[in-house]
Amino acid sequence: MSEALVIWGRLTESFWLNTQLFLLTLAFALPLGLVVAFGSMSRFAPLRGVVRTFVWVIRGTPLMLQIIVIYLGPGLMGWGTPWPSGSFGRLWAAVVAFVINYACYFSEIYRGGIEAVPKGQTEAGQVLGMTRPQIFFRVTLLQVIKRILPPMGNEVITLVKDTALANVISNKEIIMMAKEYSAKGLIWPLFSTAIFFLVFVGVLTLVFGALEKKLDYFK
Amino acid sequence: MALLEATGIGKNFGSTHVLKDISLSLEKGEALAIIGSSGSGKTTLLRCLNFLETPDTGRIVVDGKTLWDAADPQTHKESEKRKKRLHFGLVFQNFNLFPQYTALENVMLAGELLAKERPDYKANRRKIHDELESKARGLLEQMGLSDRAGHYPHQLSGGQQQRVAIARALALEPDILCFDEPTSALDPELTGEVLRVLRELAAKKTTMIIVTHEMAFARDVADRILFMDGGVVVEEGPAYQVIDHPREERTRRFLAHYNT
Repeated sequence: MSEALVIWGRLTESFWLNTQLFLLTLAFALPLGLVVAFGSMSRFAPLRGVVRTFVWVIRGTPLMLQIIVIYLGPGLMGWGTPWPSGSFGRLWAAVVAFVINYACYFSEIYRGGIEAVPKGQTEAGQVLGMTRPQIFFRVTLLQVIKRILPPMGNEVITLVKDTALANVISNKEIIMMAKEYSAKGLIWPLFSTAIFFLVFVGVLTLVFGALEKKLDYFK
Repeated sequence: MALLEATGIGKNFGSTHVLKDISLSLEKGEALAIIGSSGSGKTTLLRCLNFLETPDTGRIVVDGKTLWDAADPQTHKESEKRKKRLHFGLVFQNFNLFPQYTALENVMLAGELLAKERPDYKANRRKIHDELESKARGLLEQMGLSDRAGHYPHQLSGGQQQRVAIARALALEPDILCFDEPTSALDPELTGEVLRVLRELAAKKTTMIIVTHEMAFARDVADRILFMDGGVVVEEGPAYQVIDHPREERTRRFLAHYNT
């Protein structure tokens, strides 16, 4: 009994790494995705081309591979590794890979949301003498947010489960921790990890549901 | 001198000449109706006056001030376009109200953002806001919408939405108010309430340019009518004359489709 408690404690502890990776990725990828989205919609064709190619490469290759390349790539190229040694460096390498990957996915969601706002909204702002930033922040943005909440919710839920991929560079997240027990012949901890993900995703589902409801006041 | 002098306005989209050498002038307090079939360039002309499109040729002069001269790059500065637009107001065919704001907020938003550019804004924030609000409420009342100030656009009928849009345009006190087929998206019943508002504005000598398919309305309300076809002005004259006694064969053919 007390051993089971110890194991639950270890699992919870290691899930904190998944949570950190989740929060850091959102904190950086949400704003970066908007920048990438503007790049992919730029009127300057070369910039648009570069950004869209980059998004294609990132969305077209496995996140697991991207994590490995970002962690080991610089060292293998002979540039010296930019990552601090130990678990701290491995976490940050994973964060960087996740941020790049998710910023690209988010950018496509933003782009779809921005392009779905009728052109007439911008024009109405223009004839009322608003500046471009005013039109974006006061007119377009909230309509974009309303439109992108459902696909964003989907993507964020995927991110929760993707955090497990960080173990490919030996980040000791919950799945990796549980696997150590199954290697010793104890299988239930591995199956139990599902509960952590389910609870986390359950909370997120409620949060997104509440946000969508909050923006229900306009159409 | 006329309030608005537009001369030689031309606009091409690729190889399509949408506007060819259009000239028009408008006196203060005058209501001008522009009629013509779809694709004749009426809407593009209005969009050029509001700088949503930039004319390839021609000049736009308001109150003696040259706002646009295709031959003079000095008048093309993107940064000044915004201020120049304020000489004109534009009411769209499909309203384009901001869905996340109430009727009152729709009417107030632009005025409030402009007020922020005033040096005395910070000190008089409250007072400016109250002034803008009472003005906006006054405009909504004028539109017969006092009881709808707190409603969101989706809670309003098309006719009500269009009247909010008219109040929103009036709030900035433009020199010239432009209407782009303001009733085309409305059924006949709702069309009536919007036309009633336009009649009142004309009676108050609001300077207006109205692109419309409502011939009877144009004859009654407009001082002058301009008939466009294929990107040129075919006929122009006093409203009753153009509708009842058109001089041009093309105008007659066009009007034959309407039972006026």
